[in-house]
Amino acid sequence: MYRYDDFDRNFVAERVAHYRSQTERYLAGKLSDDEFLQLRLRNGLYVQRLAPMLRVAVPYGTLSAKQLRMLAHIARQYDRGYGHLSTRQNMQFNWPDLAEVPDILEDLATVEMHAIQTSGNCIRNVTTDEFAGAARDEHVDARPYCEIMRQWSTNHPEFDWLPRKFKIAVTGATTDRAAIAVHDIGLRAGLDAHGKVVFDVYVGGGLGRTPVIGSQIYSGLPVQHLLTYLESIMRVYNRYGRRDNKYKARIKILVRAMGAEAFKAKVEEDWQDIKDGPSTLLDAEVERMVAAFEPPAFEKLENDTDALDKLRFEHPEFGRWLKHNVKPHKQSGYAVVVLSTKVTGVPTGDVSDEQMDAVADWSERYSFSELRISHEQNFVLPHVPMQHLFNLWQAATAQDLATANVGLLTDIICCPGGDYCSLANAKSIPVAEAIQQRFDDVDYLYDLGDLDINISGCMNACGHHHVGHIGILGVDKKGQEFYQISLGGHSGHSGLPPSLGQIVGPSVAREEVTDVVAAIFEVYLQHRLEGEQFLSCFNRISIDPFKEKVYANAD
Amino acid sequence: MPTLIKAAADGWAIASETESADIQWQAPEDWNSGDALLLTVDLEPLAEYAQAERIAIEFPAFNDGRALSLAVLLRTRLGYTGELRAVGAVHEDILHYMVRCGFDAMEIPDDRNVQIALELIRPYSNVYQGTVDNPEPSFRRMQRG
Repeated sequence: MYRYDDFDRNFVAERVAHYRSQTERYLAGKLSDDEFLQLRLRNGLYVQRLAPMLRVAVPYGTLSAKQLRMLAHIARQYDRGYGHLSTRQNMQFNWPDLAEVPDILEDLATVEMHAIQTSGNCIRNVTTDEFAGAARDEHVDARPYCEIMRQWSTNHPEFDWLPRKFKIAVTGATTDRAAIAVHDIGLRAGLDAHGKVVFDVYVGGGLGRTPVIGSQIYSGLPVQHLLTYLESIMRVYNRYGRRDNKYKARIKILVRAMGAEAFKAKVEEDWQDIKDGPSTLLDAEVERMVAAFEPPAFEKLENDTDALDKLRFEHPEFGRWLKHNVKPHKQSGYAVVVLSTKVTGVPTGDVSDEQMDAVADWSERYSFSELRISHEQNFVLPHVPMQHLFNLWQAATAQDLATANVGLLTDIICCPGGDYCSLANAKSIPVAEAIQQRFDDVDYLYDLGDLDINISGCMNACGHHHVGHIGILGVDKKGQEFYQISLGGHSGHSGLPPSLGQIVGPSVAREEVTDVVAAIFEVYLQHRLEGEQFLSCFNRISIDPFKEKVYANAD
Repeated sequence: MPTLIKAAADGWAIASETESADIQWQAPEDWNSGDALLLTVDLEPLAEYAQAERIAIEFPAFNDGRALSLAVLLRTRLGYTGELRAVGAVHEDILHYMVRCGFDAMEIPDDRNVQIALELIRPYSNVYQGTVDNPEPSFRRMQRG
């Protein structure tokens, strides 16, 4: 993992002091609500329906045991004993006191953490594959490049006041677990013929009320040019992106209005001036970052499948967990473990201080003190020796973190929705819960197979509903909460090109959502071929049979 | 009347009122080489602007970042070296970005506190990026790690 040097430490300390003085000026009446809003957003603080919400940055979803213990401490000390894993791999606290936020930031700084640029119209936390550095299908570990971009984008003099928020995602694996196609900038890292790291650059993807798949504007960008090329993209967006209408201010609208080719030409024109300039990355800097993410000291271990098979036979529930929550590791004898937070009755992504402490303990015991937060709102232990899987499973079961449902129907992605968020049109947590309750038959769940249900409480799409195999969007119809259902979306992690969901038909009331979902499953189970997953089946038979079934009894 | 603060050899200070009094700012359509030029944030940085006596960029709102990019282009692409002044909705919390993007004079509006503004010009002793006032990013400027 990357460790702060004195430079980083000084910077974060000065940032906390700066924000403390801004908070004091606000509380003393020297800054208006609107002025302070812009400043507190850039330090992670929203004011929500019930209370402020503080979003703590977890850069590219990577945490140490010590850092997670600090988050547990913050949950206990300043909040109500829990935190929320966000779909951008960050952690949110829903009940901090505005005046105490500088103290929280000071505590975070002691473990090399902050809340800088986790909201506001600026470059947000760069996200990547939650299995980076561990996945068997990885070509390039994206984390060193994420850290380079974290530093470059932090308090950037020119790009902290953009038309709208800006999100960058990177993948370095065959399977894109970072959903790069639906980000403002998506980067696919690979190796060129000489083994040098290069990036394919995509721009203008996004969800929200105008979902778009990003366009590729550069193929094989050499790593030394990464920051200058990004600078040119940002400059074109900062200058020409719309500022008159916040719903048309994202880069995707600009790219679409100009056309991807014209946008690219504008970027290239700017880039000619700064390419090979002082912001060109030095080999030494790249090497420093790569060294920070050197693999841990793996032992030489065998893949002991016989022992696991025996335990699997004796403990069928452990077997299910192995099948769904344990992923292949690039190092033999090791596995990647996903700790599911999706338990019926608990709001999606909510974790208690006790669970955080437990996960921190396990990461020390079993995973070189390292852990991750996934955009599916689960914890990941990236490097677990296979011989410890059974012990870990038992411990995780006792903490309600071993539901064997990763990738299945009940592993729902869900935003906080109308229960917490002031933007939401409708509640989302009760919808997720109703689905989890309705489909609680384990055999049925496993029979349905890989299925992403994504729920957003409004068209800002924090629950990524456009890229759910089944997407559910809360809408407001004359003051009533309704839900629009779409099918067939995915962000590219099924080995297919990414696609956006298609709307099944008119929206339905909350109490009808589970019936609609049940009807969709019926169609799938009736039409699927041997071993065919939901998404493949949908692509083969199209949306029509689903429409017919769902609206069969409508007038 | 707004208060002008300027970069001087020994730091930033309030400039004398006479410095602003006689300037005849011209919009690009009325501007001739050697005049003081007033730009809005949506304009392109034309090469001849490097011949301006001085340039002001008007912030339409304190959180509009276009002025920052325009300033960078005037300083880097055009190589403009004269006074670059921020006018309009100039806010004390944006000053440190302005300085790093090449502004060397700011008009602090009457409803803002000039003393606070002077204290907020450089809240950070070190920054990650290369910028107009120091083109080398931290990884070139010093030994990191």
